[in-house]
Amino acid sequence: MSDIAPQMWEKLEPGDAAPVAAAPSLTYWQDARRRLWANKPAVVSIVFIILLILAAIFGPLFSPYSYADQNLRLSNIPPAFETYSVADGQGGTIRFFLNASNFNLYEVDTDGHVLGLLRGERKDMLKKSQAFIFGDTTITLDYSSLPAKLVAADGAAITPSGWSWNRTFLFGTDQLGRDVLVRQLYGARISLTVAFVATLVNFFIGIFYGGIAGYIGGKTDAVMMRIVEIISTIPLTLYVVLLMVVFDSGLYSIIIAIGSVFWVDMARIVRGQILSLKQQDYVAAARTMGASTSRILTRHLLPNSIGPIIVTLTMLIPSAIFIESFMSFIGLGVTPPLASWGTLTSEAVETMRAYPHQLFFPAAAISLTMFAFNFLGDGLRDALDPRFRK
Amino acid sequence: MPAYILQRLGMMLLTLWAIVTLTFFLMHAVPGGPFVSERMLAPEIEAALNAKYGLDQPIWVQYLAYLRGIITFDLGPSFKYPGISVNTMIADGLPVTLQTGLLAVICVIALGIPLGIIAALNRNRWPDTTVMLLATIGVAIPSYVIATVTLYIFALRLGWVPTFGLDDWRGYILPVFALSGFWVSFVARLTRSSLLETFEQDYMTTARAKGLRPGQVLFKHGLRNSLVPVVTVLGPVVANLITGSFVIEQIFALPGIGRQFVLSITNRDYTAIMGITIFYAAALMVMILIVDLLYAVLDPRIKLTSATA
Repeated sequence: MSDIAPQMWEKLEPGDAAPVAAAPSLTYWQDARRRLWANKPAVVSIVFIILLILAAIFGPLFSPYSYADQNLRLSNIPPAFETYSVADGQGGTIRFFLNASNFNLYEVDTDGHVLGLLRGERKDMLKKSQAFIFGDTTITLDYSSLPAKLVAADGAAITPSGWSWNRTFLFGTDQLGRDVLVRQLYGARISLTVAFVATLVNFFIGIFYGGIAGYIGGKTDAVMMRIVEIISTIPLTLYVVLLMVVFDSGLYSIIIAIGSVFWVDMARIVRGQILSLKQQDYVAAARTMGASTSRILTRHLLPNSIGPIIVTLTMLIPSAIFIESFMSFIGLGVTPPLASWGTLTSEAVETMRAYPHQLFFPAAAISLTMFAFNFLGDGLRDALDPRFRK
Repeated sequence: MPAYILQRLGMMLLTLWAIVTLTFFLMHAVPGGPFVSERMLAPEIEAALNAKYGLDQPIWVQYLAYLRGIITFDLGPSFKYPGISVNTMIADGLPVTLQTGLLAVICVIALGIPLGIIAALNRNRWPDTTVMLLATIGVAIPSYVIATVTLYIFALRLGWVPTFGLDDWRGYILPVFALSGFWVSFVARLTRSSLLETFEQDYMTTARAKGLRPGQVLFKHGLRNSLVPVVTVLGPVVANLITGSFVIEQIFALPGIGRQFVLSITNRDYTAIMGITIFYAAALMVMILIVDLLYAVLDPRIKLTSATA
């Protein structure tokens, strides 16, 4: 005790007190935002999703091709190829690449722009070869044994001069010569539109149904929840399939089909939230002040249950994307020439042995998008769920 | 307990009836009849066909006839393959679908639960992060993407497994992998979080304080209690896997029910679509019922009495 300096015992003026060491108090949303920004996968996902949406909206505008432009002379071109060069007999060189799966040669320039299909001589069906004449050099394409190879006049195999990226069609072309990149972006448009609109439809049905059941309670609630129970035991994917068979495939029908079926979880969550919230004192206070049911629902109950609702919503989006691509995959999605990621994948499966690039891009796009929405959903759940608050 | 089972059975029948009704009227809402095609039939022939299948009757007569058929497990004739009933179509596809489905279920239980336990026991260390990373990948990537990509890599590029068919045991690897990938990940995540929650319980501390060996604490006290939510999802999982994912069967050309279903859709074979939908739904509901009964074995706190909702 004797260690304490005497001046420590002196009386302080009211303003002299050391500032209280406390963090400023945060509102629910500030806290949630802070937590979400601290979650790196979630932030990366948000950036990815925003970029994806921007690319889907604006990307096709910058492309010289449309999703339906066909060019059968330039079909199934890969995004990268091995180029060969030969003298053209007039002092220059011709650069070209061999598409080893359809035995065509395509002329390219030094940057990797595809200039066109090279015309060869008549195909020798017996020897399975085709001659190409460049000025005074003759090159034979020999596809009697796979992989096909290019042979010079003296019988020696020609070695490629190097790899080059396809600068004309960055992601290559599909079997009808359509640009894979543009179709990919259009696919993103369709998939995201379907996912967002269907999720919104689910959201409104779920809020409406769950809100009413939870707020009225009693017998109404019991009956409504029984119906939900029945619906949730029905395999819903089958019902989307049935609805698609009835409506016939197309963009609107798939939105309606997905939107009208997957609202059950949302209804359950909203009901649970409303049930627990309506016992709160501030609801009783609002009621004594004469607020109407709809005002209590929209001003007090729904805003306070928004956290779990947002989390469910974010989780609904990837499942909507999945169901849409799944339907498109089994041929019940959008109609050609429109494309979604599902139709792109299923088209690519037919040709994947020869042209894996057509499979790679839509598969990667859908997987990455699903990742992003899953991470974002996890992040939002951790940020918004008060049970995880420290 | 019998009262509970009876009540559940009643619920199930009610749901099945709802499904049958919904499916029936949905399929009959499709514009055009099953015999309307590009090749115009003579009106007499069409009338004769309609009469043969009872399609000239008012819709409620058809509905009652269909219900009668369902009760006697008769799903009617196929509209596209003359002489073949929907029952035969299902019976033909069932063995294949059952085989792959059961293998997938075994995978989910034998891989998903242990992976979840490993992750929970090594919380925030590398086994946990690895398992969770794999599980996130497995949950996010759609099954048909897994199927096509693995088909490309392992069957077409490396040639380790056949590209289609089930003639040899290696043919099962990819379909089962693609079929169970999502659920293995899902169950691993669920087991982990459930086990971590159980570790916080007081009785776990008590068990440890008593000086039980870690293995005993984990298996007798931890695992048994944390498996309840896992078993809850296993019901629908088993049903989903056994009824088969139609896309997987389509990709690997397995002659199962799922492929039959997709074919019926492309053929617009309405009776087959109806029949297989109803079969799927019934299978799913029986599975869920079985799992609910299994609950009581795992968790004595749940008493099988009539739920008072």
